[in-house]
Amino acid sequence: MDSIIEFVITLLKPLGVTEPVFQFMLVSAILGLSIYLTLYTGMFSLASAGFMAIGAYFGVAATQFWHLPLGLGLIIGMLAAGLIAIPIGLPVLRLKDIYLAIATIGFGEVVNVVILNFDDVVAAILTAVQGERVRFRLIEGARGIKNIPRLTETQYLVFFLIIVGFFITRLHRSRFGRSMAAIRDDERAAANMGINVTYVKNIVFILSAMLAAAAGVFSAHLTRIITPDAYGFDRAVDILSFAVLGGTSTWVGSIVGGMTLTALPETLRAVNQYRGVFTGMVLLAVILFLPGGLVDPAGLRATIRRVRSRLRRAAESQGAT
Amino acid sequence: MVRRVFALILVLALLAPAVMAQDEEVLQMGFWEECEDPAGLPETVTIGAIFAQSGAASVYGISQSQAVDLAVAEINESAYLGEGVTLEVIYADSAGDKEQAIAAMTKLVEEDGVVAVLGPTLSSEAFSADPIAQENGVPVMGVSNTAAGITDMGDFVFRDSLPESAVIPGTIAQATEALSLTQVAVLYGNDDDFTISGYDVFVEALEANYVEILAEATFAKGDVDFSAQLTTLLGTNPEALVISALAAEATQIIVQARQAGYTGPIIGGNGLNSPAVLTNSGEASEGVIVGAAWNIASPEALSTAFIEAYSAAYEDAKPDQFAAQAYTGAWLMATAIRCGDSAESLAIRDSLAEIVDFPSPLGMFSFDEDRNPVHTPVVQIATGGAFAVLGAEMTEE
Amino acid sequence: MDTFFQQLINALSLGAIYGLFALGYALVFSVLGVLNLAHSAVFMTGAFFGLVLIDKLQLPLIVAFPLAMIGAGLVSVALEFIAFRPLRRRGAPRISQLISSIGASILLVSITQLLFQNLYGGTDAYFPRGLVPDEPILLGGLRIVPIRVIILAAALGMMVILQAVVSRTQIGQHMRAVAFNQRVAALLGINVGRVFVTTFFIAGALGGAAGMLYGLVFLNVSPFIGSDVALVGLTAIVLGGLGSINGAVLGGILVAALQTFSTAIGGSSYRNIVVFGILFLLLLVRPQGLLGQPDSTRT
Repeated sequence: MDSIIEFVITLLKPLGVTEPVFQFMLVSAILGLSIYLTLYTGMFSLASAGFMAIGAYFGVAATQFWHLPLGLGLIIGMLAAGLIAIPIGLPVLRLKDIYLAIATIGFGEVVNVVILNFDDVVAAILTAVQGERVRFRLIEGARGIKNIPRLTETQYLVFFLIIVGFFITRLHRSRFGRSMAAIRDDERAAANMGINVTYVKNIVFILSAMLAAAAGVFSAHLTRIITPDAYGFDRAVDILSFAVLGGTSTWVGSIVGGMTLTALPETLRAVNQYRGVFTGMVLLAVILFLPGGLVDPAGLRATIRRVRSRLRRAAESQGAT
Repeated sequence: MVRRVFALILVLALLAPAVMAQDEEVLQMGFWEECEDPAGLPETVTIGAIFAQSGAASVYGISQSQAVDLAVAEINESAYLGEGVTLEVIYADSAGDKEQAIAAMTKLVEEDGVVAVLGPTLSSEAFSADPIAQENGVPVMGVSNTAAGITDMGDFVFRDSLPESAVIPGTIAQATEALSLTQVAVLYGNDDDFTISGYDVFVEALEANYVEILAEATFAKGDVDFSAQLTTLLGTNPEALVISALAAEATQIIVQARQAGYTGPIIGGNGLNSPAVLTNSGEASEGVIVGAAWNIASPEALSTAFIEAYSAAYEDAKPDQFAAQAYTGAWLMATAIRCGDSAESLAIRDSLAEIVDFPSPLGMFSFDEDRNPVHTPVVQIATGGAFAVLGAEMTEE
Repeated sequence: MDTFFQQLINALSLGAIYGLFALGYALVFSVLGVLNLAHSAVFMTGAFFGLVLIDKLQLPLIVAFPLAMIGAGLVSVALEFIAFRPLRRRGAPRISQLISSIGASILLVSITQLLFQNLYGGTDAYFPRGLVPDEPILLGGLRIVPIRVIILAAALGMMVILQAVVSRTQIGQHMRAVAFNQRVAALLGINVGRVFVTTFFIAGALGGAAGMLYGLVFLNVSPFIGSDVALVGLTAIVLGGLGSINGAVLGGILVAALQTFSTAIGGSSYRNIVVFGILFLLLLVRPQGLLGQPDSTRT
């Protein structure tokens, strides 16, 4: 496994990819899958960034405050996100389209505020109880939690992705997976056919939250310091871009989109000043000219059919004259 | 007789240039006397620099890059590293993003094989990226990292930027004495690690000087309207308003505090140390006290020389503290290379750690045993739209 | 009580800017049915144009203001042609247009960053102070800063003009027809494409005006001021009801009031929670907002 990973990284080196960059690409792949699940069910949710933060902070709490290994930290982070997703999902998933998007953006902002002010709120409560001014510092708010050891290894990320990919493939073939697609195509019809729409949506929301949290735990143990500003609106938009760029018709698309958009700033270091311009242009170009994203088997098939039929007609008209 | 007078005039004419030259003492930066010209250096010595050249932090990163360019040009022109030896800098943009900082550091250290690194711009980037330099045995010097614990990451991690914990205590001590302070109100940004760390130190310093904090209020980065907080804080009638903020917010706070009728002193940290704050708050800035590592009104001779060189090189732009610290950082790095007479990372690290009493625009500069900077910070007060030095206080790390 | 009125004035002037900005969202949404997430970038462009016209070209405010509005309007029209029209022609789902506007927004901010760096050597610039008087006037127990009152007046003035355009002019009539039913409007001989372009222009001009007012009162201009107001604008239109023009204004003032008063009471850290808390509650209880139509918000 190690040698395969090394080989892949060597292949990508001319594109500016080094091992840390590759690791971040894999984290982005996990985030892409997180939002893929919700998009596949027709939910325009931007909550992944907020759940990534929850995963990161709980995961770091596990490894730094309670001195647990990374694996347990991962499980704790994912569990925390999954549990929090339940009371958030129930009321919010009834909304659709832009309303759901705004509500989930709001969720992300609330997570941000909680992280920033947690210490102060606890300090205020303790001060009220004890009567004298108490200063409390645990999750450090804007200062961030630093000196996190680099526990994440490339193999863990690859294994995790393989397992999740396997799981998603099974999911697509299952009845649950078909319910997801049915809901995306027409929610009312799906409900009429007896699908428990609320149940399906909430389960998907929880799964998506857990994936985002896993990405958060992994990423925290790569960047070695976590600050709340890394998980805000900008991050939510980035994650959305992964799925859009890669294409939402297959789960591979989100992985490709995530890895490409993360590698792009590194590849473009040669034209450093224009990196932002290029990224915006790439996103626009894909939406305008490749509506199915980069990985679009259906679109590709349609294009091939079109090209073939045009060639055929050209050949026929040639033969006729 | 005429011939003697003529001879005298001739002698005087020959001596005159030498006499006149005596009056213009040209200040040369660097350890020219203290270390001999190096002999064992390769033709090119390459260092790296990670700055936020794009994104929200680029206002600092661009200033830093320009300053380093200026320093490197001077170093090469004056043959500081010896005849025929060129110092080269490879820049990498971190865009204020931890992940890009890690990628940049990895590229510089592993791919480009630089022997030392300047930067990164933000403390959070440093916490992410510096361990890579440490693990690879490459010295890295922060020129704008002010958070606590930077050099704890390892003995290859240095910084030349005075942390707030070195500047603020002196500022508060002097202000308390000069203004006979007993009660203040504190306004700080609680969503930025720089401003919240500054707040931590302000509180400690105020308590150490027996100054009571009547009220505290917070704001967020990007806030433009502070009337709510100011109304609350000023309602307690503080003797001074202490703020921990970045330049953009600080400007608004100062303007709005005056608009709210407050005429007392305003005390701030590094974030207020920008010419833009004074220009944009106009008359409101009267009486604002700022403690900082460097200020454009500094009386240091090397500082004046640096300001002139920077203005000449960059179309009359005035340098800021980030530029001053980056410029000094580049010279420190070159000095370590010169005095160690080696382009090997380990030797550079050892040589850097030994630098003591290096004259710079920041003052007389030394590294302490934890590789943190030691030099005299400056406390100033704004009068008539310009900063004037309130005094200086020697602080220990 | 004085404090209350003081805060009220602050809230109103801030709310005027938010409302003006949210109007742009509401206009495009009601006529085209899509959310233009690049509108916040247009807001920033308005401030940027104003800054360059005043600071670099030394034009007086009276001339620079309308020019900046026109410039922002043109940028907005460019967005329609680049990011929306091609997708509409193809019959792409609304969500694609939304994402396309995000891409356009990123592009616009990046380009402006480059321009900023070339013109100002960094990404921070300031409007010169004193363009509009900002020395406070004492009135009763209140300190009133003229610039805030002027902003309130300017914003209200523009809203009144917009209302007049929408309800009294032919183009306004056409806009309302298209908003009501595109197909029927086309059948009636209305040039729907032209209506779209006009809508984008007006929305952009208003957004640019909001940007300039923001710059005049708060002085700091950077390529990133758009993201600060983006969320506020979205919240404002959801509060007021998507597609409702009056709702957008009401929503803007409400958000500003919520922000100001929660900051006054509890400190600025929690104001986002207050704003989003109210937003959540509203979405759960009355998702169509205060002035919107209860129809297609739930599934």
